[in-house]
Amino acid sequence: MTSYLIRRLFQMIIVILVSAAASYALLNLAPGGPLTGLRQMQQNSRFRITEEDFARIRAYFELDLYLPVRFSRWLIGFPSGPVKIFGQELFANVPVGCYKEIQATFQDAKGNFSVRTIGCKEYVYLKDLEGRRVSKGVLRGDFGNSWRLNRDRPVVDLLVSRIPNTVKLMGISTLLALVIGLPLGVYSAVKQYSRFDYIFTSLAFMGSAMPTFFFGILSIMIFSIVPNRLGWFYLPAGSATAVRDYTIPLLGTVKAGSGLDQGLHLVLPVFVLTIVSIAGWSRFIRGSMLEVLRQDYVRTARAKGLVERVVIMKHALRNGLIPFVTIVVFTLPGLIGGAIITETIFSWPGMGRLYFLALGDSDYPTAMAILFLTAVLTVIATLLRDILYTIVDPRIRFS
Amino acid sequence: MKQKSMLVLALVVIASLVLAACQPQTIVKTVEVTKEVKVVETQVVEKTQVVEVERKAFTTPHPILSDLKVRQAMYHCTNKLDLVKAGYPLISDEDAAKLIMDTFIPKNHWAYAGEGAVQQYPFDPEKGKALLEEAGWKLPEGANVRQKDDGTVLALKFYTTTAAFRQAWAAVWEKQMAACGIQILRNHVPASWWFGDTTGLQVRDFEIGAFAWVGQADPGGQTLWACDQIPLPENNWQGQNYMGWCNPKADEAIKKANNTLIKEERIKWYKVVQEEYAKDVPAIPLFNRTETFSAVSTLQGFAPTPGEEYYTYNVYDWEIPGKDTIVIGFTQEPASLFTLVESAMVANLAAGLMGFRSYTSLNYDFQPETMKQLSTIENGLAQNNDVEVKEGDMVLDASGNPVKLEKGVKVINSEGQEVEFDGTPVKMKQLVVKYEFRDDLKWQDGSPVTQADFELGYKIACDRESGATTFITCDKTQAIEFNGLSYTVTWLPGVQDPLYFLAPYGFYPSNQPIESEGPYKGKTLKDVPAKDWATLPEVAEKRWSYGPYVIKEWVKGEKMVFEANPNYYRPVKTKNLVIAFLTPENAEAQLLTGAVDLLGSETLAGLTEQLVNAEKEGKVKNYVIAGATWEHIDFNLWVK
Repeated sequence: MTSYLIRRLFQMIIVILVSAAASYALLNLAPGGPLTGLRQMQQNSRFRITEEDFARIRAYFELDLYLPVRFSRWLIGFPSGPVKIFGQELFANVPVGCYKEIQATFQDAKGNFSVRTIGCKEYVYLKDLEGRRVSKGVLRGDFGNSWRLNRDRPVVDLLVSRIPNTVKLMGISTLLALVIGLPLGVYSAVKQYSRFDYIFTSLAFMGSAMPTFFFGILSIMIFSIVPNRLGWFYLPAGSATAVRDYTIPLLGTVKAGSGLDQGLHLVLPVFVLTIVSIAGWSRFIRGSMLEVLRQDYVRTARAKGLVERVVIMKHALRNGLIPFVTIVVFTLPGLIGGAIITETIFSWPGMGRLYFLALGDSDYPTAMAILFLTAVLTVIATLLRDILYTIVDPRIRFS
Repeated sequence: MKQKSMLVLALVVIASLVLAACQPQTIVKTVEVTKEVKVVETQVVEKTQVVEVERKAFTTPHPILSDLKVRQAMYHCTNKLDLVKAGYPLISDEDAAKLIMDTFIPKNHWAYAGEGAVQQYPFDPEKGKALLEEAGWKLPEGANVRQKDDGTVLALKFYTTTAAFRQAWAAVWEKQMAACGIQILRNHVPASWWFGDTTGLQVRDFEIGAFAWVGQADPGGQTLWACDQIPLPENNWQGQNYMGWCNPKADEAIKKANNTLIKEERIKWYKVVQEEYAKDVPAIPLFNRTETFSAVSTLQGFAPTPGEEYYTYNVYDWEIPGKDTIVIGFTQEPASLFTLVESAMVANLAAGLMGFRSYTSLNYDFQPETMKQLSTIENGLAQNNDVEVKEGDMVLDASGNPVKLEKGVKVINSEGQEVEFDGTPVKMKQLVVKYEFRDDLKWQDGSPVTQADFELGYKIACDRESGATTFITCDKTQAIEFNGLSYTVTWLPGVQDPLYFLAPYGFYPSNQPIESEGPYKGKTLKDVPAKDWATLPEVAEKRWSYGPYVIKEWVKGEKMVFEANPNYYRPVKTKNLVIAFLTPENAEAQLLTGAVDLLGSETLAGLTEQLVNAEKEGKVKNYVIAGATWEHIDFNLWVK
């Protein structure tokens, strides 16, 4: 067991590093970036952006460094100047980037123009990195400073402000979906072709077919805007908490930031997320249970004269759960990753929304932090899944 | 297990390949280049730009669009009112008519030539068709599209962004053109391509293109209409005259308008440009976009005004009877309150609550705010002297760059003529302006604003390590002298900025104590070097106020909480103000359920049925004003 875990841990580290490198490279290679529109932005105003300004701003975002150098600085905060060994400065004159590029305009046979970089006018050398701002590196727990969303302030501030909200929203809805969806699925499988089963499968089908954004907007209309207009009891339309006290019919005045206020704000987004998860999961459980119930060992158990409850709970359910474990375990990255659409519909300040904003605004340090966390959690979830398998299915052993 | 290790190995290989591919190439293989380009001409422009093109680009007039009659015909065939209503279906006819533009300056702007002062092209399809007939574009029997005798079809490619608003009006315009026998091939392209640095508009990759300009209190326009502002491969695609419109009269006038300080003179020159623009039709000006605001009907004092971008300019006057808190909904969170590095609209709106501007620009004109008065030549605070400059002096050259004067440099002399410096001293204009500020400016702790605060303001604004985008204002400053709550700037000879009367530098609280953890704890703001300002919470998140509100709390992702500043020089009517961060999809619902009191134009794309109905019920009040942004259709007069 221990040697298995150690081996797995080693593999996990490699997978995380590779995925970090790949996502860093992809983000940086994608068109766009923080300099998009910079040259144009300034043209019609009183200011003209000069080549010097452009180079300085480019360097401000470290875009003048070669990608592997940038990645290494992001990962471990190295290099941050010449390598010093026994007071000797080494590699001080190794170029690590290009401060000013030479660009050229080309015309192809069709007459279309393209502008490309053809060389470097002014290199950045290792010694120039001394004194430049650098993070300690992600591996040492420093995600660096945000480029856009929280300009020049730590990415961690952004994460810390979003993670509790996300965990609250995702945790409660996942738990509710499990508690409600699992028995529903089991019951519906046991009573296959009953009236309940028909109603349940139709509802579940509708639930999983309904787009979240539509369902979200619909629920805001029905539970928030319309009753508010009619002066009835209504639920807050969005956000995690209110910013000032408010009055709700039947409840009276709700204090902003109180437990009640937070609870009321949770209802709609949790409702939407839960319904969608229940719909999907319970159908899955139903299918998996139906298959197990047809197995010989279930028939044997029944033939032994066991009570139906024991047959279902002990013999069938445990086996029916095996494939379901995979699905449930992989909600773990989602606990931190959040739910982009639901968060957007309800102004929920969560990680999904943050990730979306970070990508839209070319805030790569923030986007990378979220990608990195998600990668770590996914790898952990995989390990967790394998361990859980051995628990629900004694046939599986570590090897 | 073996399979897994193989998988990991494969991933490592892929990743290293990706990384290797990312290494920027420093040497380019010439073979590669010649494959697709016949290199005929090589020249170096602007030191870092090498241009290799087959022939001089954009020297062949566009076969269809270079004909004035065609452009005029298209103008006559355009019904602007219908385009406005396509873009804003819920707007009244009366409001729609107010948005229509007939030149490149909004109608309520001081530089507008005046109704009927320029050639008009009223909607008249018959006249349009007649012009097309004259130009040789005939409609064959049974056909929908006009042709020339040689069989050329009157079809043109039209480019604009994918924005729903543009899709709406462009579809209507396409029909209007079709009614005149002109086929428009409509392309809605991503904004990132259309406005990209090296794609779309910037490299003039269009026949007809639509986009928007932003009207400003200073109409500027030199980069838009001057002949030397046509983007070409030779000039590194500098300039924004994408149409390639070069009219000597307009060229001279736009330069003169931007190089004189006397308002009456400027109005005269702008009129010339507007006349020529209307005669030549290099573009069809369409309409001002609207700016829509929606607030609870009980909000008083809120008065968004054309020309003034920041609708919180009079926030001290806002109140909701019976409430001590006003909540504004923002759909974007400010990234920082350090407005020197963060210039997004929302950052300026939030920082504006704490005071950061020395003037307002209501109705496209200027009013002093923290300044005592505008420092004009007319009131004696500014002087425009003649000075003699010699070799080695720093001056502003004719194209607006601060340079050391040496032989061959082109400058504008005191007579307003462009001359080349040949070693003999030249007389140039030099502005010396005194900027005076109110005596009752105080920081939020009650301490008065001092000369040291102004000195710090200048020092930080001009420090290259502050992270600011441009330092052109600093580079144009020859000398600055501080004297209490005023300072006098001696600008470089040649600086004739039309907005010279606005204070160029602000002030910072030099004595603000630093309480956040770090190397500066226990010190004051003046001890912090510029390179660390952007990262300092005291600057980025808790900046000191001299305006109507003081920031109390900023919960990232959720809200900013403000409290009235008792030391502000005006009474503030509402005690608390909160900015709540919402998503665009959720903002209206929160307004309608009373969670927020106001949504600004940066949030609302326009009126919605819901808002119109809520106004009918008396719940909210909608404000629709002509925005500064205006849509237009540009003709590329040349082929690449």
